[in-house]
Amino acid sequence: MFKILTPSNLFIYLSKIIKFIKNIFIPITIISLIIALIYSPEDYVQGDSVRIMYVHVPSAWMSIMCFSVIGFLSILSFLFKFKNTILFYKSLAPVGLLFSIIAIVTGSLWGLPTWGTFWVWDARLTSMLILMMLYIFFILSYKLISNQKISTRICAIISILGLTNIFVIKYSVRWWSTLHQTDSVRILGDTTVHFTMLWPLGLMLFVFSLFGALIFLMKYKTEVIRIKKKGLRRL
Amino acid sequence: MNIDVIYTNGHGIYVCAAFIFSFILCLGLFLKTKKVLKKLESEFKIEADHLSSMQIQNLKNSKIAKEILAPQTKAH
Repeated sequence: MFKILTPSNLFIYLSKIIKFIKNIFIPITIISLIIALIYSPEDYVQGDSVRIMYVHVPSAWMSIMCFSVIGFLSILSFLFKFKNTILFYKSLAPVGLLFSIIAIVTGSLWGLPTWGTFWVWDARLTSMLILMMLYIFFILSYKLISNQKISTRICAIISILGLTNIFVIKYSVRWWSTLHQTDSVRILGDTTVHFTMLWPLGLMLFVFSLFGALIFLMKYKTEVIRIKKKGLRRL
Repeated sequence: MNIDVIYTNGHGIYVCAAFIFSFILCLGLFLKTKKVLKKLESEFKIEADHLSSMQIQNLKNSKIAKEILAPQTKAH
């Protein structure tokens, strides 16, 4: 199975997948934006400011999901010395950072009309800020440290911290009394978001996933070409 | 259905700012990634085109060297 996932094998399909995502991305994004901004109903308490949810929630979910994958791959790379995993997490980290920035900024923009302030040092907000910082440290550690062994070790340490922080993000609204609302969408429980808002949210999550996949594949292709260039010079 | 997207009951500035900010950030990352990828692809193509006859011969004989270039030729 790992042989299939080698950069050389994946490279053959990269261009085709990137092209396919590029073709479907714009129409799906336009449809999703129209539904999120026009057709989805306003909230009976928050009014139209609830529409910020359609960028805030998917980006927060994506940033958490990306770090979970990065963390798992980074630990795998440290323990079993899989070189392919380094390429994967190097390509995924910038996407995760982007999503975490979007989640924090749009959350602040949603906070002002809803809570009356851009920022509070609330457990959920602070743990999301920590996640963003960990993304930055993670990226810096593989960009600035040339020694691969040390860089992999530091990345693994940051990953363990990040994975612990993800649990804090998830349960912060249950463990502490926070200004941030409790989780409204639950996989193994009752979802309190009405269906008329839930499906546009799902659609926007799909758009964010497509964008994440597109950037990830483009970055992965870049990294593979970098390796190929090095290999070409050795001929 | 609310068609007053810009005003949105006084919340328009926050809604628009959130969407525009996200759009700009995503577009920025996409363009930057695309630029780097295009640059590397063209550099790689130039280097591959300038291989000497000896290097090409090595390429035909060496299994590892074949692997370096093979997927690139398949992809294009």
